[in-house]
Amino acid sequence: MIEVKNLRKEFELSKQQRKELATDSKIAVAVDDISFSCEPGRIFSLLGPNGAGKTTTMRMLSTLFKPTNGSITIAGIDAIANPQEARKKIGFLTGSTGLYARLTPNEIIEYYANLYGVSKADFTERKNRLYDLLDMNHFQNKRIGKLSTGMKQKVSICRTMIHDPEIVIFDEPTSGLDVITAENIIKLIRDCKDQGKTVIFSSHIMSEVDLLCDDLAIVHQGKIVHQGTMENFRSEMQTPNLTAEFIRIINENKTV
Amino acid sequence: MISTIFKKELKDTLRDRRTLMTMIVIPIFIFPVIMTVFLKVSEGFAKDVANKTVNIGIVVTPENMNFVKTIENMPKILGKKKVFVYHDSATVQKHVQENRLQFGVFVPEDFAKNSIENKTSKFKVFFNATELGMKERAETFLNAFEEMEKAKRYVALKVDPASLSPIAFDYRNVASDKETVGKLIGGFLPYLFIVFGFIGCMYPAIDLFTGEKERGTLETLLTTPVSRLQILLGKMGVVVLSGVMAATFTLLGIFLSIEVFQIVKDPKLLEIIHQILTVKFILLMYLLLIPLIVFFAGVMIPITVYAKSFKEAQSIITPLNMVMILPAMVGFFPGIELNAITACIPVVNVVLATKELIAGTLDIGLLLLSFGVMTSLALLAILFSYKRFDRESNLVS
Repeated sequence: MIEVKNLRKEFELSKQQRKELATDSKIAVAVDDISFSCEPGRIFSLLGPNGAGKTTTMRMLSTLFKPTNGSITIAGIDAIANPQEARKKIGFLTGSTGLYARLTPNEIIEYYANLYGVSKADFTERKNRLYDLLDMNHFQNKRIGKLSTGMKQKVSICRTMIHDPEIVIFDEPTSGLDVITAENIIKLIRDCKDQGKTVIFSSHIMSEVDLLCDDLAIVHQGKIVHQGTMENFRSEMQTPNLTAEFIRIINENKTV
Repeated sequence: MISTIFKKELKDTLRDRRTLMTMIVIPIFIFPVIMTVFLKVSEGFAKDVANKTVNIGIVVTPENMNFVKTIENMPKILGKKKVFVYHDSATVQKHVQENRLQFGVFVPEDFAKNSIENKTSKFKVFFNATELGMKERAETFLNAFEEMEKAKRYVALKVDPASLSPIAFDYRNVASDKETVGKLIGGFLPYLFIVFGFIGCMYPAIDLFTGEKERGTLETLLTTPVSRLQILLGKMGVVVLSGVMAATFTLLGIFLSIEVFQIVKDPKLLEIIHQILTVKFILLMYLLLIPLIVFFAGVMIPITVYAKSFKEAQSIITPLNMVMILPAMVGFFPGIELNAITACIPVVNVVLATKELIAGTLDIGLLLLSFGVMTSLALLAILFSYKRFDRESNLVS
């Protein structure tokens, strides 16, 4: 389970940044007092346009960034006080994730298993299962630099799941991928839900959200402007489709 | 965890061609190649100069033709020559300028008269400084002529040449050959070590920090339950090892040059070099070198953490290379010694201590002071690197 309360993230602005943004303020608020919770066995979607604060929120959840204010609890662990303990429970995958081009899938998966302290027996069992599931056996010893985008994405999925995380965080996981490759991610998210894991994913693609999520929060300018179940969202729609409804909510909350 | 990161980074680094070039190939081959080429070229040049037939232009009046004959009859051992008689010095100068003559001699009209009267005659010698070695060839012939003239005068004046040499100075070098070699050319070895140690660190540092950020792998690594200090130390270990390896391969290159390519022909010098390159010397040199390389890595890492691209990191570190290498050149200047002050100046202390080590004159107190200064700076550099690496603004692009 993930519990987020009154989360806020400020970034200091350099002189150059203040000039570029035409502001006198010394700070920029990327996330402003947001609260939500994600339940095990359910998929929570953080939806918002570019620059809304989704990635900053995801980075705080994955302990990459320290919040300015607020609290984050990951599987019962205070992620701000004990980030290293919280990380053991998290699987993190972003659309921009890179892989070590000079290593092979086997070497990368083993490296991450070691970093997460996975036992030899668990590593072998999980690796074999994931390789079969993702059809990775034929390229396990090829260098990453020689693999196709789809193959690389499968390696990233395997790397994310090798320590069998309780919580899985996906930050715009399908961005830049073709539909066939994106399908692997969609399948992974569904599998995580079926296994009773807590899943949170950020996106700005409404069709993906429609396909997967149980709960959603729409973020705009660092604040949550809508929160609830997907079922309620559909039933309360004031426009003919999900994308139009998303745009309507964003426009309604635009500040000048 | 540090060792897991270290092993992975080492494997990754050893598969990078650019790093292999700067860590192994260039250090191991640059010294033998440069020295072999240099020696071949200089040997060839010396041979060419010695074998070249020198065209000598002599401006002379009929009464001084004896000078021309003497030069023409000089023994062949002094080198091949052709003598041309001129009547004006302007043409001789022009021909020397055009390299048609290697040198020209203007014999004064009163030379024969001065010889009889035991007076000094002033000869003008024209040479072209751009034709290397030709002034020396001129001196060979003219000194030989002068000696002949002196011998004639000793006979005419009935003087024993020994009576004109009241004192014979016997200069004795009290420094050992090892000390002389160490003090004069001992700065060369630490210079090479510093240059290659720095370059050896450079590519791995950029690749393991900026490269990882640029390729989008750092973000994933930081979400693992490994502390940032452990990640930093694992990566830094590989950067330091790369620098030490580059320096070691430089030493191996020097060893190959001496033992395999046999660039040192002088058996006495070879014996001195063998005396210098002992296991004790190499161990003590590494004692100084390792904290220096850690210091280099510690200076580079904050830059590579800050830089957003490989190019940006490279453009900052390359000028830094000059800042680090310039103090290393202090070893080339004789007279700058290791003392309580120079032992506190980073880089300079390593160069001077290595130089003293080669000469066998190193004071153990100053060695420990240099080591202490470098180790303290290395620890500060690690701390500073950690502070930068821990800043979230530097970690994700």
